[in-house]
Amino acid sequence: MKDEEEQEEAVSVDAVSLREALRDVTDPEAGVNIVDMGLVYDVTFDPASRRASVTMTLTTPFCPAGNAMLDGVHRRLMRVPGVEDANVEVVFDPPWSPERISDAGRAILGW
Amino acid sequence: MVDPARYSPPFALVRAHFAAGVLGLATFAGLLLAHAAELGGHHFQKPHLLLVHVAALGWLMPVALGAMLQLVPVLFEAPLASWKIGAAASVLYAVGASGLVGHLGTLSVGWGLPLTAAMAAGAIWIHAAVLVLTVVRGRASGLTAAFVLAALAHLLFAVTLGFLLAWNLCAPYLPLSHLVVLRAHAHSAALGFFGMLVMGAGLRLMEMFLVSRGAPELPGWIAFGTLNAALVLLDASSLLGPWEAADGASAALAAVGIGAFAMQARLVFVRRVRRHADATWLLSGAGLAHLASAAGLGLALALGPAMPALRDRLVLAYGLVAIVGFAGSVVVGQLYKIVPFLVWLHRFAPLAGTARVPAASELLAERPKRVQAALMQSGIVLVAAGILNESAGLRTVGAGLFAASALAVAGNLWAIDRRKPFKEG
Repeated sequence: MKDEEEQEEAVSVDAVSLREALRDVTDPEAGVNIVDMGLVYDVTFDPASRRASVTMTLTTPFCPAGNAMLDGVHRRLMRVPGVEDANVEVVFDPPWSPERISDAGRAILGW
Repeated sequence: MVDPARYSPPFALVRAHFAAGVLGLATFAGLLLAHAAELGGHHFQKPHLLLVHVAALGWLMPVALGAMLQLVPVLFEAPLASWKIGAAASVLYAVGASGLVGHLGTLSVGWGLPLTAAMAAGAIWIHAAVLVLTVVRGRASGLTAAFVLAALAHLLFAVTLGFLLAWNLCAPYLPLSHLVVLRAHAHSAALGFFGMLVMGAGLRLMEMFLVSRGAPELPGWIAFGTLNAALVLLDASSLLGPWEAADGASAALAAVGIGAFAMQARLVFVRRVRRHADATWLLSGAGLAHLASAAGLGLALALGPAMPALRDRLVLAYGLVAIVGFAGSVVVGQLYKIVPFLVWLHRFAPLAGTARVPAASELLAERPKRVQAALMQSGIVLVAAGILNESAGLRTVGAGLFAASALAVAGNLWAIDRRKPFKEG
């Protein structure tokens, strides 16, 4: 019975729920979560391997909080029920730009 | 990608430098209040020498060294050449600088003066060697790197002249007036080191903390070129001259450089993603205003009529707005960004993704920082007005406000440093 529940929970993991979970990780300087900051480019979940993959960027390659945020993303993904492995890839092409910030993020930043 | 944890020295080392700097600020503020009535006359007097060196060596230098130990490895993407040698140099510096300030404050011109000056200067040379070794191993270039490297060059020139001056006070040997060497020493330290460092690091920190991207750098390079040319001219005129035309040209170049830097700062500021103006930007803006005032006073001193009484007051006000107004305001403002960020990185980053963690800016509310900034700025303006107006009352009230602001800085940074993670549930 328990195995069936876990199986069902694992199957229910999808990109949308993973992206939602990533809202718990915040850019420490901007004070905006990385999703609303526009740092998350792509989120996928492979049901067979139960592996979550995130492609994201940083506001700059010199971001001194970069590794801290990437570690935070990895830890958050691994806490999602049904995820057994997580991979976080950082890309700088296309580069991040302020246009990627969501309306909610802009409100926090005082736009 | 830059990983501060990989490149930077232990947090405790940087924190110790900042704590020493805050202690130096409190000491400076107490001495400013105690000597407020004596701020007048020629600049080469005991209270003035004491105050300038407590501010420069006790307050600003420890913060600058701590910031460079943290910033240079991140900026140049290379591990610090040796943080242990840096730490040992800091201990030597603390002993030497304390002794030097004590000797200057009492104008004790025995051999203890050049001995302590040699210790402080030697420690700074060691620090500079560690930082230069770090830089040559790194790969960054650009405007901030140029400013930081120039700042280190001016620092070495300033401390060498400082040591020679201390030796000369003990056993006179200089073939030229110590006052002209002092002029080169003071400008190399204030505008050459603190100015270049604050400008170079400030531009980078502005980009980082305001999340500002894509600002063109031409005004910054113009500022870099003209300010360095101004300093070289002034040093040459002081040590090889005097050349009156060079003094005027130097002051004019410095004014152009400061204007160009203000334009560069504006270019970064208008591209910011973070729109809220916080205490750091209020203090940095105030610092820029003080720098513009210093440029105006410098031009007046270089080109204006030589009325000794007025000149003495202008020189003191010039020193105050350049060192305390410009460098001091920007340094305190940046501490409000750097300290929360370091505390976040070392205490909260390991919790990211597992618990709710505050942003760096949430480690202390904005109001206490703004109150501190208001106290500091009103204090500096009143002391400057009291110097120009020869009003001991104004200077004392201003020094009192500044002392209150120094205590507020200590309280604010202590509160940030003690901040604990949220309790769950």
